[in-house]
Amino acid sequence: MKISGSYFLPLPPEEAYKKLQDPDVLAGAMPGCESLEKIGDDEYRMKMKMALASLSGNFDGKVRITEQTPPESFKLMVEGSGKVGFMKGEGVLKFTPKDAGTEVSYEGDVQVGGTIAAVGQRLIDGTAKMMIKRFFEKVAA
Amino acid sequence: MATTTITKTEKLVGKRIRRREDPRLITGTATYVDDIKMPGMLYAAILRSPHAAAKIRSIDVSKAAALKGVTAVFTGKDTEQAGAVPCGASLPGLRVPHHHLLAIDRVYLVGHPVAVVVATDRYIARDGADLIEVDYEPETAVADPEKALEPGAHAVHPQWPDNVAFTFHQEGGDTEKAFKEADVIVKQRIVSQRLVPNPMETRGVVADWRAAERSMNLYSSTQVPHLVRSLVAQILGMDENRFRVVAPEVGGGFGAKLQIYAEEILLAYISKKLQKPVKWIESRRENFLCTIHGRGHVDYYELAAKRDGTITGIKLKIIQDLGAYFTLLTPAIPTLSVLMMPGLYRTPNISADIVGAFTNCTPTDAYRGAGRPEATHGIERMVDMVAAELKMDPAEIRLKNFVRNEEFPFPTATGLVYDSGDYSAPLKKAMEMASYDALRKEQVEARKQGKFMGIGLCAYGEICAFGPSPATPAGGWESATVKIEPSGKVTVLTGVSPHGQGEETTFAQIAGDELGVDIDDILVSHGDTSLVQYGIGTFGSRSTAVGGTALYFALQDLKAKIKKFGAMLLESEDVTFSDGKCVCNKTGKSCSVKEVAAAAYRAMKLPPNTEPGLVATHFWEPPNFTFPFGAHLVVTEVDRDTGGVSIRRYVAVDDCGNILNPLIVDGQVHGGVAQGIGQALWEQAVYDDSGQLVTGEFMDYTMPRAHMMPWIESGHTITPTPVNPLGVKGVGEAGTIGASPAVVNSVVDALSPLGVRHLDMPLTPEKLWKLIASKDQAGSNA
Repeated sequence: MKISGSYFLPLPPEEAYKKLQDPDVLAGAMPGCESLEKIGDDEYRMKMKMALASLSGNFDGKVRITEQTPPESFKLMVEGSGKVGFMKGEGVLKFTPKDAGTEVSYEGDVQVGGTIAAVGQRLIDGTAKMMIKRFFEKVAA
Repeated sequence: MATTTITKTEKLVGKRIRRREDPRLITGTATYVDDIKMPGMLYAAILRSPHAAAKIRSIDVSKAAALKGVTAVFTGKDTEQAGAVPCGASLPGLRVPHHHLLAIDRVYLVGHPVAVVVATDRYIARDGADLIEVDYEPETAVADPEKALEPGAHAVHPQWPDNVAFTFHQEGGDTEKAFKEADVIVKQRIVSQRLVPNPMETRGVVADWRAAERSMNLYSSTQVPHLVRSLVAQILGMDENRFRVVAPEVGGGFGAKLQIYAEEILLAYISKKLQKPVKWIESRRENFLCTIHGRGHVDYYELAAKRDGTITGIKLKIIQDLGAYFTLLTPAIPTLSVLMMPGLYRTPNISADIVGAFTNCTPTDAYRGAGRPEATHGIERMVDMVAAELKMDPAEIRLKNFVRNEEFPFPTATGLVYDSGDYSAPLKKAMEMASYDALRKEQVEARKQGKFMGIGLCAYGEICAFGPSPATPAGGWESATVKIEPSGKVTVLTGVSPHGQGEETTFAQIAGDELGVDIDDILVSHGDTSLVQYGIGTFGSRSTAVGGTALYFALQDLKAKIKKFGAMLLESEDVTFSDGKCVCNKTGKSCSVKEVAAAAYRAMKLPPNTEPGLVATHFWEPPNFTFPFGAHLVVTEVDRDTGGVSIRRYVAVDDCGNILNPLIVDGQVHGGVAQGIGQALWEQAVYDDSGQLVTGEFMDYTMPRAHMMPWIESGHTITPTPVNPLGVKGVGEAGTIGASPAVVNSVVDALSPLGVRHLDMPLTPEKLWKLIASKDQAGSNA
């Protein structure tokens, strides 16, 4: 499933770029994130809890940041698996100065599998949008 | 609906007798597999792959094995030597993938079983399965059969990079000539989408190894208990005579339980290994993924016709989505479509090709109609398109091309011999019941008001009563034993395995009439291999036509023996047996079946060359299939604003030969029509490009429900078959086969003012709304 959108952060691009790579900020902002632990350069182990339709479950996964061109863009890859299936996503975040802040736009792909795909597919689109919105709201806060 | 009360001397056959099996079903007192409980019983849960295609790097079961309450964990390494899931179909050059019970180093579909956890209760087993860590290396998958055949597609089985399991060609007559000389040729791609069979009861297995007796007792929700016994015993190297299979109450099958499943083999293996009874019950989500799917055709049709409407040739290319593996009959199903491709028409020239394509999806196999709904849908859509091309009435073109009454037995271009028929009769009757001419007039007026009203016809034929043994993989005969017990009570043991078809009633009607005993004195037993002689099972509309006939012949043998005892008791050679009594034609003295039974078992004296007891067994081999037929007429209206289809009239006229119980025949037609409407309007199994089934529960897969059904106006014509002495043809699949083309033809007719010529199923409101909106848009732009 393709996802795309944008969000305005009241920060200059350099700061927005940095903030979106800060493990503490990410851990606090990602909905359901229970822990985020650095395991290498730009690579983190993540535990998160996700709920979709009638399912909820814990996911163990990894977050990786690649293709860094500060302060313009980077690529974020998230993958995780748990009892209810797996999810995989990757997307490019772009930072463009706008007004007194930065417009962060994103474009990517999300794939889910297993039970979560069989019973929750119709809600993935809406759930993904909601999670991204909450994420940025927390980053901005 | 009216039913009949029977007085003693009245015939039972032909009466609307209520099903004797229903009280236990509707009061919830029947015994299904999940109702079986045994001391010390363990429960199995199966871990299944979330990936459609992946290598397995490693499996770590240590956490699961350490969980309190978990007895054992099995992976593919443990069961590799135990055997594989069998395929009973054979075709020249068929590539048969080895279907392991549990994945070894790769998974090929979502739902592929990877490990079994056995525990003291089912919840612990499930928790244990969740603790297994499998390291997968996912690969790209292919879920669409046409994409699977493109060069460079992911190879489902690496050893066969083209994903072709088999190709098959059949022809009859001179198709090239017919097409060269045709006045009109109509071509269309027609899809019969994948469906998920959803019996009310999911699958379930209890395996109980009894070490002291060295015997296996396997309880399974199956349509074919004897085949399960023979095959599972053989696969596991166990003695068939010490292997008992019981199909207890089975809550529907529709072909999905005409199988030998991995779980049946696994549970038997595990029970013997652990020396304990083990139960596994399929969840509904597993049922969506791990029980077979139906249909899955992409068909390319070409029809050649003369200007007067005579159909002269049919070309068909079927691309069959086989899924990742074969189950019992997977590759054979599309060959049934080829046999049925001429429908009820005389067309002497046919040419058919099948390409069986592997995909990373659930295997397809027999689902109510199995190959014949696809073929009927195709030919009945094509005939409508030819009629539209020639501006003929769809009824007229059908009547023109039907096999004529004097032509039976009719050899078809596909090599069958149609047994008997009067093909125009049901169509004419349906048109009369619906007032066809008045409907067409009404349609003209409705169109003037901008309404989308459609009238759809379907004239269908079937291949039923499977079948002669040479044409049926495991044999096509059937068996029956009739015992009159010393008390005079009658026990019928049949080799078929009814699970909703009502043979406990219809077979008692046959036996009651032949023996002249009260229906309440007759017990019809089935589904237990230690009780029943042997049998093939219930599928392909065969139970009554083949199993009922075996019963009929066993009854004739038994009646001859009754007469011998009657003659002895009445001390006369001139004795007639009728209405449950032996009567001496000279003296008028008589003795009842009960008295005969007492004498036959007491055996103080025996007639010459006669053994004691009153038992007869007959195995009957049918000389041919039977070919029921019929016509459905459907009036629909499509809502311009919502795209919703409402069915205003549904007329179903079926000819299934002689009718033993009209109530049961109506029930079979109603259920079948519901499934056919389901395919036409709502149901479809959808996979995304990565091979994930995205319609994996009832929230996403639209099962027809009672409130979505129209009132079905049933009618019958009766053309007995000469194939069996009962004259019955079979009706289990008729409704499903007739319904989908009738509904789609009706909706296409409704939307024909928009230039619509064909629509692929399911005709969901979304699909029709988009279509109407785009045409309206185009219209307003013009």
